[in-house]
Amino acid sequence: MITLTHFLVVSACIFCIGLYAVLAKRNAIMILVGIELMINSAVLNLVAFGRYDKVNYGGQVFALFAIVLAAASVAVGLAIILNVYRKYKTINPDNITDLRD
Amino acid sequence: MRDLLTISPISMSILVVLLPLAAFVIQAILGKKSTSGIVSLIAITASTLISGGFVFMAVWDNPPVSATYDWFTIGDKTFTLGFLLNNLSVLMQFIVCIIALPVHIYSRSYMKGDPGIHRYWMYLSLFCFAMLGLTISKNLFMLYIFWELVGFASYLLIGFWFTREAAVQANKKAFLVNRIGDLGFLIGIAIIFSTFGTLDLVDLFGKEGIFSQGIDKNTGWMTGAGIAFFLGAMAKSAQFPLHVWLPDAMEGPTSVSSLIHAATMVAAGVFLLSSIFPLFNETVLLIIAITGTITALSSAFFALGQYDIKKILAFSTISQLGYMMVAVGIGAWDAAMFHLVTHAFFKCLLFLCAGAVIHEMAHLKAHGNQEFDPQDVRNMGGLRRYMPKTFALMAIASLALAGFPLTSGYLSKDAIVITAWEWAMHHEGLYLIIPILLIVVSILTAFYIGRLIFKAFFGEFRLNDLDVTHLHDAPRTMLIPMLFLGIGAVFFVFSWNPLSYADAGILQGLSVEYPFAEAHALHVIVPIILTCGSLIAWWIGWRWYVKGSYPLNPQNRWIQASLNQGYLDEVYHKTFVKPTLKLAQASYWFDQYIVDGLVNFSAKAVRSLSSLSSWVDRYIVDGLVNSVAGTTYYTGHLLRWIQNGRLQNYLGFAFTIVLIGIIYLIIR
Repeated sequence: MITLTHFLVVSACIFCIGLYAVLAKRNAIMILVGIELMINSAVLNLVAFGRYDKVNYGGQVFALFAIVLAAASVAVGLAIILNVYRKYKTINPDNITDLRD
Repeated sequence: MRDLLTISPISMSILVVLLPLAAFVIQAILGKKSTSGIVSLIAITASTLISGGFVFMAVWDNPPVSATYDWFTIGDKTFTLGFLLNNLSVLMQFIVCIIALPVHIYSRSYMKGDPGIHRYWMYLSLFCFAMLGLTISKNLFMLYIFWELVGFASYLLIGFWFTREAAVQANKKAFLVNRIGDLGFLIGIAIIFSTFGTLDLVDLFGKEGIFSQGIDKNTGWMTGAGIAFFLGAMAKSAQFPLHVWLPDAMEGPTSVSSLIHAATMVAAGVFLLSSIFPLFNETVLLIIAITGTITALSSAFFALGQYDIKKILAFSTISQLGYMMVAVGIGAWDAAMFHLVTHAFFKCLLFLCAGAVIHEMAHLKAHGNQEFDPQDVRNMGGLRRYMPKTFALMAIASLALAGFPLTSGYLSKDAIVITAWEWAMHHEGLYLIIPILLIVVSILTAFYIGRLIFKAFFGEFRLNDLDVTHLHDAPRTMLIPMLFLGIGAVFFVFSWNPLSYADAGILQGLSVEYPFAEAHALHVIVPIILTCGSLIAWWIGWRWYVKGSYPLNPQNRWIQASLNQGYLDEVYHKTFVKPTLKLAQASYWFDQYIVDGLVNFSAKAVRSLSSLSSWVDRYIVDGLVNSVAGTTYYTGHLLRWIQNGRLQNYLGFAFTIVLIGIIYLIIR
């Protein structure tokens, strides 16, 4: 029997992998990938909790919205990375420290 | 000619004084460029001509003339500048000129090529200015100024070769010894001024002066003043025991020795005493006579043992100055002035001859590349064959010094000795010792000057290994001045009668009345004794030094005492110089350790106090502020590290904080 807990555990695992990718990767595209993973773990949670709304399927609907928004944000993110690359000739976030005081 | 003679002798005499001063100033301005000395020579020639033609001729045997100008006023006392021309002062001024002129000409050759020649001419003109000014000063204050100036010029000229240690020591010694005398002179001036309120020589000693109005001279103050003035004269005229500077002063150039330390400056003391003669009472005169006798005797003795040709002559000068002092002491200052004048000629000549000999010996030394003292008579001998003219002139001067008949010295020395006999016979008793000693001194004089002549000019030349063909007579510019002075050493310049001094023009011109009777027998006996004594002394000297009949042990106690000048320098060194140095050392120690010590100690205390407060300021006050600032700084530094601009770090921090928040919520 697959319970809700299994979904949540898988979701948590994916979120952690995404978080790790965001924090540790030396490539902006891989960070973007990490973000996508975190979004998808959240989407998985939405779908998993969606079983408690059998009337409106709010969970599934919200998941669809989230996927569309994620696709849009990826497009924006890639555009940013492209501009960053143009300006700095690198996409390694360690080398881009203009926010420093 | 008559019109010329009516020119004021006062202004002419001032011109005589100022010409050498102008020469001095010109040469001081020209500096090293004026090496020829022509400026000095022109000045002294003009001075001599004016002094002889317009001053001496106009004033001699005429009433004295004087001029006085106000100088400055202190309170209600006015000090004056004045010029007094009487027989005494014009004679002295003329003599100074007439001795200085040949010395200047002689110096042209003698000092040729000396690297400091420009200084030489400058100093010589300065000296002439001071000495000529001294002769015609009307008041004692002005006289004192010139007195100091001649002393200073003498100091400069003794130390002319200042690279020599001995010359520096000698001029220091001369200066210090003369200070003692100058102090005496100053005290004398002070006593006179406080007693009579004037320093004017005419007001004091003139025909209408204070002293001719019969004041009581036997007071303690007058004796004190007399002794004080005599002390001044003692130092300047090198009287025992202050004579020690004069032999050392021979470190100066020989031409300087002849002018300053034989003929003119050292005679200034005698001149001073003659000028103020009415001041002295019986006591002071006796002291002067005794000192003069001691000086004459001791220096004649010291002259016997000297080897340095110039030192022999220096002691001879001191001895003759002793004679002059005796003459002043017995009241015969005219005889003193007469001897001064004749002595100036023949002693200057002796020095110039000695200078010529030294000149040749120094040349020989330079040619032969050998080390020997060119002034040591032991290195000379037989020089009469190489320098016959010099020998002849020196022989004339020596005869004059010994008082041989037909010379000028005979006249003046007899005047002193005979007058001394008359004076002693008037007083009787122990007073007779003085003339007897004077005769002994006269014979000693003949002996030591004979020794000098025999050693230097007779026998064989003692430095055999040198090429004596280089020895020759002095050049003409040196011989002519010597010849001129040589004429001055003969009797007819002063008196047509070669055997009696009474006819001498100088004595008649000064005309002093002696308080004692003339003894006619003495005028025959004394000259015979003196002449025979001299002849015997020369005969002994001839056998002794030329034939070598009486070999001497140079270690003999008497000879050593004579050579070492009676150990007087050593005594002075022990009694005055050493204690003074000790005192100086003690005061140095006191200054170094007590006075400076106190100052240094307080400085040290203040310094340690300030370093303590500096420590407190640095580590306590500043420390507090600095530690607060430091803490803030390090905190800021720590936090600053977070702001490193790395997105992932920011995110990591944010996540950590969220995590901590969640853990906090869970645990709570």
